[in-house]
Amino acid sequence: MKALDSFNPLAVFVYFMASAGIAMFSMDPVILLLSMLGAVTLFVIRREGRQTGTHLFSLFLFLTLTVINPLFQHNGRTVLFVLNDNPITLEALLYGADAAAMVVSVLYWFRSFSSIITSDKLLYLFGLLSPKPALMISMALRFVPLFRMQAKRTDMAQRALGKYKEDNAIDFIRMKLSVFSIMVSWALENGIITADSMAARGYGTGRRTCFSPYKFRPQDALLLGLSLMLAGAVGAAMALGGLEFAFYPTVSKISPDFLRLAAYIAYALLSFLPATIEIGDALKWQYLRSRI
Amino acid sequence: MAILEIKDLSFTYPKQGISALSGVSFEIEKGDFALLCGATGSGKSTLMRLLKREIRPLGELKGEVRFEGKSIDELSERDSAFRVGFVTQKPEQQTVTDKVWHELAFGLENLGLRSDEIRRRVAEMACFFGIEGWFDKKVSELSGGQKQLLNLASVMVMQPDVLLLDEPTAQLDPIAASEFIATVVKLNRELSLTVLMIEHRLEEALPVCDKLIFLKDGALYAFGEMRSCVKSIMRDSEFLNYLPAAVRIFAAVEHGSACPVTVNEGRKYIEAGFDDSIKSLPERETPAHGSTALEFKDVWFRYERNSGDVLRGLSFTLWEGEILCVLGGNGSGKSTMLACAAGLHKPYSGRINVFGKRIKDYKNQMLYKNCLALMPQDVQTVFLRNSVREELEDCDISALPFDLAPYYDMHPYDLSGGQQQLLALAKVLSCKPRLLMLDEPTKGLDANTKAEFAAIIRKLKAAGVTILCVTHDVEFASQLADRAAMFFLGEITSCDETRRFFAANSFYTTSVSRMTRGRYENAVTVEDAVALLKLNGVRK
Repeated sequence: MKALDSFNPLAVFVYFMASAGIAMFSMDPVILLLSMLGAVTLFVIRREGRQTGTHLFSLFLFLTLTVINPLFQHNGRTVLFVLNDNPITLEALLYGADAAAMVVSVLYWFRSFSSIITSDKLLYLFGLLSPKPALMISMALRFVPLFRMQAKRTDMAQRALGKYKEDNAIDFIRMKLSVFSIMVSWALENGIITADSMAARGYGTGRRTCFSPYKFRPQDALLLGLSLMLAGAVGAAMALGGLEFAFYPTVSKISPDFLRLAAYIAYALLSFLPATIEIGDALKWQYLRSRI
Repeated sequence: MAILEIKDLSFTYPKQGISALSGVSFEIEKGDFALLCGATGSGKSTLMRLLKREIRPLGELKGEVRFEGKSIDELSERDSAFRVGFVTQKPEQQTVTDKVWHELAFGLENLGLRSDEIRRRVAEMACFFGIEGWFDKKVSELSGGQKQLLNLASVMVMQPDVLLLDEPTAQLDPIAASEFIATVVKLNRELSLTVLMIEHRLEEALPVCDKLIFLKDGALYAFGEMRSCVKSIMRDSEFLNYLPAAVRIFAAVEHGSACPVTVNEGRKYIEAGFDDSIKSLPERETPAHGSTALEFKDVWFRYERNSGDVLRGLSFTLWEGEILCVLGGNGSGKSTMLACAAGLHKPYSGRINVFGKRIKDYKNQMLYKNCLALMPQDVQTVFLRNSVREELEDCDISALPFDLAPYYDMHPYDLSGGQQQLLALAKVLSCKPRLLMLDEPTKGLDANTKAEFAAIIRKLKAAGVTILCVTHDVEFASQLADRAAMFFLGEITSCDETRRFFAANSFYTTSVSRMTRGRYENAVTVEDAVALLKLNGVRK
């Protein structure tokens, strides 16, 4: 159990939408560099999945995307060399690197996201939007394994009755179809029992609430508040044109005006927020353990 | 005051001449533990469904059901749904959601409670039922017994006053069933919950109940306080089979006045009332072994490469013409053994011979022609058609020892458990097997149906069929088997002639054996005990 797993899914969800969302809509290289650093740090700290393999794959993806752009895009003033009568420009290469950083960092964000937001947390988030479909999904998730199990058992029972003939494809398909058709009856039959069980427990007698096993604690409010505030600041700077950046015809210079610096600081804080939470939690444990 | 009053209740299903219930009246007091018994088709389930408005079947209803003095039609929707809880026999089908915690919360969500209130009640119930350990699990990962406990818990979170249970243990093995019944008893004793339960396993449930209700052909046959009711129906051969072994012994020997009900009472009754100069019945002769029907030689099997072994060096021999019952706990690999014998799974090591020939030497489905047949645990998996007639179309049923003609136009799923069992058996027998393998054939059958089923199996044996039966039901095995075997951790640990087998076991044995242990040597069935007691005579 890592620190972020115990946060309310809503706060975590908003955080990732903010950090990855800004990375997706910004072309500013500093923002993307911060996004990349934040996402990779979080991924490394959480030690999810196969670390080396993931990093190698990301590096490969980054290099490929960087190289592909100048091969097809020939805008830009600074020609590095000419390949097959086509100019390869520095601007196109840098644009490729920028876009690649965006893709790779967003992938890193989502790797951490999917390890924190498991399927039932996702269902809970979905339930916040609309409770009825969420219940239906939950019922479907129960029903599918049940149906598969019964179909397999039926198939085995029929095999033991010698109903499958060897090397006769038509017969085989006919048997499979009969099994499927009886499974439809079975599903309907069992649907009645489930419906009875739902009615017996008062389904449809009044307004339903949607229970969640996740509490909303002060730490969640803090994460949610910070995410919204920092993302809001960056968003505002973007809306005011503070993060304009162009690669063609020449790469624009980063002017250190107030709006731009403020946006960088806000996004840096946002980007390293989850890593800070994880490290803080780990340090707290270390401290507590050292006192024993 | 009575919490449930049933007044002159009659019910007829649409388009049916005979009424399912006629003029049933009785009352249940608050805090009562009442058992509802009767043969299949006697109207038990219909009666129970009429007590809860949400699941009431369609049809013509006369009479009245009152809950706390009020007709149930006058109850508010909420009271009707939440104050009367209902659990039915299918553990899988009555769960609604995919997660244990969500299932527990489902009823409370319908009640419109806030999350913190739901959390409190769910936590409370999870503790009471001891299910914290699997709170975060998926429902599909639970065992049958756990699922049924979950179903009970998810009804109990709504804090009902009355609990209706329709054969809740029918699909469970004996250990899970006793656990379930013990939980219901605890709810009744500690929370003074009123319980009305339909149950076939009277050996365990009857001693703990307060009231008994017996239905016969839709009418009330007997109703009253448990002991007086037992006495009044004891003389009726139709119901005698339902009663615990101690009662059946008492009914047969006709001695004394106080009727024993539990194993403990039965033991005291026998010790106080009868001599023990003759210790044992003459040993049965073991018939000479013929040729082998089925032979397992050091068979090892696992489902996946990384999973544990399910069969671990299993070796045994089944002789032609005998009935062998294999007993053992849930998940010990008994069903896997049958699937291996039927060629459905291939062991990775060892050898299985069917009638002296290796399974893989049976080419072109010859294994299933005049050779062996497997009747699976869930007999519904045998059916593929929409009526009994179609189901039996390409089956030769002339030689069946029973008759299915009355059910020809019904859908197989609409038959009762016992009738489904017989239909499945008819289909299985149409392959003309010389070796018949049965997987838990008595699951969900009432006592009389079970006795009929045992009689049919004996007829098959007389016709020369070899039978291998995997079961949890020790009483059934003790009456049916020539030899019995204990299956444990993927192998057979002991195997002996039935009477010797059960007399040697001390826990996994019949209640008669537990009752007479130490005093007599090999009394295993009620018939054995009665014969011995009659031989010894009443103590002077």
